[in-house]
Order: sequence, then structure tokens, then C-alpha cells
Amino acid sequence: MSSRPEAAFVLLLMQSIFWLIAGVSAAPFALAGEIFMAGLALATLLLALGTCICAIAVLWRRRWARVVVIALEVTCLFGSAVLLLIPLGFNRGLVSILVNVAVPVAVLVLLRKDREAFS
Amino acid sequence: MFDIAPDHAIGLFAGLLALPFALLALRVRPAARRVPGTVLGASVLMAIAGAIHLGLIWTHRDEIITAVLFLLNGVSYLVLSQLFTWRWWRLGSVALITATLVGYMGYIVLNFDTPDQVAVATKLLELTMLGLVLVPVRGETRRRTSRWSAIAVALPLLTVVTVSVVWIDDLARPDAQHSHAGAVLQQTNDVATPEQVAAAQQLYDQTAAAIAPYRDWHAAWAAGYRPGPQNTPSTHWMNQRNVDAGYVMDPRHPQGLVYANTRRGPVLLGAMFQMQHIDQFGPDPGGPLTAWHQHQNICLTPFGFEFSLMTPTATCPIGSIDISVAPMLHVWIVDNPSGRFAVDIDSKVVKKIDQS
Repeated sequence: MSSRPEAAFVLLLMQSIFWLIAGVSAAPFALAGEIFMAGLALATLLLALGTCICAIAVLWRRRWARVVVIALEVTCLFGSAVLLLIPLGFNRGLVSILVNVAVPVAVLVLLRKDREAFS
Repeated sequence: MFDIAPDHAIGLFAGLLALPFALLALRVRPAARRVPGTVLGASVLMAIAGAIHLGLIWTHRDEIITAVLFLLNGVSYLVLSQLFTWRWWRLGSVALITATLVGYMGYIVLNFDTPDQVAVATKLLELTMLGLVLVPVRGETRRRTSRWSAIAVALPLLTVVTVSVVWIDDLARPDAQHSHAGAVLQQTNDVATPEQVAAAQQLYDQTAAAIAPYRDWHAAWAAGYRPGPQNTPSTHWMNQRNVDAGYVMDPRHPQGLVYANTRRGPVLLGAMFQMQHIDQFGPDPGGPLTAWHQHQNICLTPFGFEFSLMTPTATCPIGSIDISVAPMLHVWIVDNPSGRFAVDIDSKVVKKIDQS
């Protein structure tokens, strides 16, 4: 049996931890008076939770999770592509490319062929 | 943290070079067909991590202990990358990856090394490897419970701790070019020459005289300056005409003014010159006294124009985007303890003005 969903699970878990850290990191700015940042921090933490739930559902080979994750990763890739193309000074470092491009691509590749494995 | 240290670049090249060889090694080994894909993925990542560590030996040959540790680490990773059918492979891999991560954090905390892109990327590879080594695939029965427990607890914990250590070190011990979180200073000579002191004084005098009329904020408004969000003690008022015109450090046409938000209304603190393009630092007549600075890797949200800092894993809260702002130079016309051309105005100064 294919272990692609398990590999995708690991990458999604990492991705959800990255978002968890981003959400928590915005909290001090919210406490310093940036009220909108509080909303973004909460939204990011919810995204981290949602990604973690999807990761578990991918592991359980749920078809809806595969669809949701593919949509999420395509959105991430589209966002990264836009930010990489427009001259706003988006970080083009090694870690940024790994996290914002390589991980979504890897998840998409891992979930691409296994349609029949999902129920 | 967001740069590649020159002595670490070779590690990156070694890692990239190892990738095709790692894939080839799996293709020629019949045993590779008998193990799950997660194990093969971990094997490839181990080969890359091993090559990165071995590549770093050459540039760290003067640091004997570090070089020996890189050698041991690199060889162990390479050996383990090929021993995936060994009974104790998972245990050995988990022990090596964990020891490497903990050892790296020790190096960072003890200030033996500073984090850079190659190091952070390698740590992320190692954490992913750890996940791939631990995750049980369907049909596997060996130690499922303990492996799931490790994935649920140890992997998130190690990731959060590693990223936190890297970030705290970067914020607590910024290098000479990072004056404060998110700002990079223009490179200059260390000590100002008498000519540079005179030039800085001239710039200060000309700017202070030119912006004196804007002590009355109505005059600034009439000249085209508009305030940004006023949810902080001080606010930048930007003049889009001056921004678009591309004036370069022209005291008569500063791109921005900075006002303290007091109970009596806006009080002028100083001016801000800004260049048009990222990484294009302006003229520096005062040498170290008038060094420009550029804000890098800040997570800016259009909601209220608020910001936070990008994490070491290059992630921003959703709804905000990572940007860098073109270089700027402030001229403070109030008594700022940090200096007349400092990156920031001292918050105590703003508070004092508000209370006076």
C-alpha cells in the first residue's frame, strides 16, 4: 500500500506548526495595541488547527481532506507566486522557498496520484 | 538569519549535489522496493543533510571540535541513509536527529554560531526527516503507539523549540548591521571623520529649518502630507508627491514627517527621507552618523496598516504579507537620546512630549 498519505501528513503537520508559530508570534503585537493583528493571530491559529485536522484526515484517507488540502496548497502556491513576482521585497531566501514553494509542491505531488486510496 | 553565511554556502552546494546521488543509490538497491516510501524519503533527506554537514567541514577546519562534530554527523547521516533495512534504523535515526538538533541549539545558545538560511533549512530538513522516520504506515505493527506519541508530542515540541531558539538568538544578539528587529543599517566607516560630522550638522540644520513650518500640522496637510494609522504614539505622515518625484535626501522635500500623537494634537518630531527602491541606500554625507536603514521581512497587513515580524520559517500571519521597505533616513528635530539620525525615536521622548 502507498505511504504517500503518511508522507503528506508529515509535511502538513510541519506546515501547521509553522502557522502555529506565526499566529503566536503576532500575539505580542496585538498585546501592544495592534487590534487587527489580534484577529490575524486568531485566524492563523485556526488555520494551523484546520491544517492539522486535514493532515489527520489525509492519514485516514478521507477524500474530502484530499480535496481541501489540494485547494489549500494551490492557494498557498498562488499567493507565493504573486508575492515572488511583485516587487514588494518578499523574502526569496532558501527557507522561504522551501516552506512557501517546495512544501506545497511536495504535498500536491504526494496527493496527486492516490485518488483511489481515498474513500 | 535571513542571509546565507559565506562559510555555510558550501554546505548548500554539497547538499544539492548529494540529491541525485541519493536518488540513484535508492534506484540501484533492490532493498529499496521492500520499504515504505516514507523511509525512502527520510533516506534521501538524510543523505542531503549528511552532505551539508560534510561540506561545512572545509570552512570550519580552524574550529577543530566543530569540524569533528560535522564529520561525525555527516558520516552518521550518510551511513544511516543507506541502512534503512537495519533493525534499529528508526531508533538510531531518531537518536541522531534529536542529538543533532539539541547540539545545534546548544551551539546557538552558547554563541558558538549564528543562525543563517543554510542552518535553518537544514534544521527543517532534519525535523521533516524525524517525522518521516517516525510515522507508521498502514500495515506496520512495530511500536505504533510509541511512534504516534513521538509524532504528536516530540515533533511539534522540537520544531517549536528549535525555531524559538533561533529567533530569540537573532533578536537578542543582532549582528552589527541589524540595529533593531527588522532594520538593516547601511554599511559605513566605523568612526565619523571631522568632514562627516560637519556634513551631518549641515544636513540637520537644513532639514530642521526646512520643516519648521510643519510644526503646525495644518501646513503639512496643505503641503500634501497625510497621516498613516494613528494607533501608535507617533505617526509617519507621508507625502506621495515627494515619494513619486524621487527626491534624494532633499531637505526641502522630505518624503515623510513624523509627529507625536499627543492630547494637544500632532507635535512634529522630525523628517524622514526615503529612497524609491528596495536595497538602494541613499547618499551618506555623515558616514556612520547618517546611515540609512531598511526594514526587512516585516509582516504588513492592510488592516489598519499594522505589522509583525516574519518568523524564521518565513511565515507571516494570514492576512499579512512579508515585505521590505525602501531605505530611509530620519532626522529628529527633538532631543532624541538615540541620536539625531537614529532609526527610532525614543519612546520616553514621545511620552514626555505628550505629558508636557
